[in-house]
Amino acid sequence: MDKTQRDELIRLIASPAAGSKIAAAKDFGIDLTLLVRRLELTPTERLQELAAAQAFVQKLRAAKKTPAHE
Amino acid sequence: MNDFERTLKILCDAGVRFVVIGGVAASAHGSAHLTYDLDICYDRARDNIERLAKALGPYHPRLRGVPDDLPFCFDATTIARGMNFTLTTDVGDIDMFGEVVGIGGYKDVKALSITEVLFGDDCAVLSLEGLIRSKRAAARPKDLLILPEIEALRAIETQVKRQSGPIEVRNEDRVKDKQSEHEPGNNL
Repeated sequence: MDKTQRDELIRLIASPAAGSKIAAAKDFGIDLTLLVRRLELTPTERLQELAAAQAFVQKLRAAKKTPAHE
Repeated sequence: MNDFERTLKILCDAGVRFVVIGGVAASAHGSAHLTYDLDICYDRARDNIERLAKALGPYHPRLRGVPDDLPFCFDATTIARGMNFTLTTDVGDIDMFGEVVGIGGYKDVKALSITEVLFGDDCAVLSLEGLIRSKRAAARPKDLLILPEIEALRAIETQVKRQSGPIEVRNEDRVKDKQSEHEPGNNL
């Protein structure tokens, strides 16, 4: 994504047109700012991030099962 | 943990005809939604079913969410007799669909897919349009939850493209992807 596209994307997300799908997503509670960085990645990098997020969640779940120190 | 890279390479190396669908497809398009399994739509032609069985067989596929002692033989005959399978394997959870709600069989799904370079291989990935169609048709709470984000991604793609051409990811990374040591397979 070049600078022009990035600027355009940030503008779209910051002030989406009323009634647009982007506005609907924002109203729904989707954090659209996350999409800016995601769209700067290659599809492979996006899946690598997804795998890393999965691993992190699994670590959290495993830690939850471990009794806390007194 | 799901090893998407390994699973996709296994399928591509075996020449399995499939389309990446569901949450992983959404993620490949830029969704920030977290998903835990790889969903694919596979071609139900006999030769492809045999390739699929041969490719995944060594990774001990078994049905997910059923008692461990329930007999299950993952082979071409089983796949041919069934349609959709929710599997757990040594390389992660894989959901295999012979048909996708709201779209149809492999040929229809393929027609709505685009080619993306994933871990060095050309993979068919269901388009945002296809994802929207399938999520709307499935209409389960989990589908409706991700729908606004996918619709926003499509609107972003359309509007940014209209303003300044297609959104291109860094080309050097695509090239790097292509030049990975792995010999590219072909699932197309």
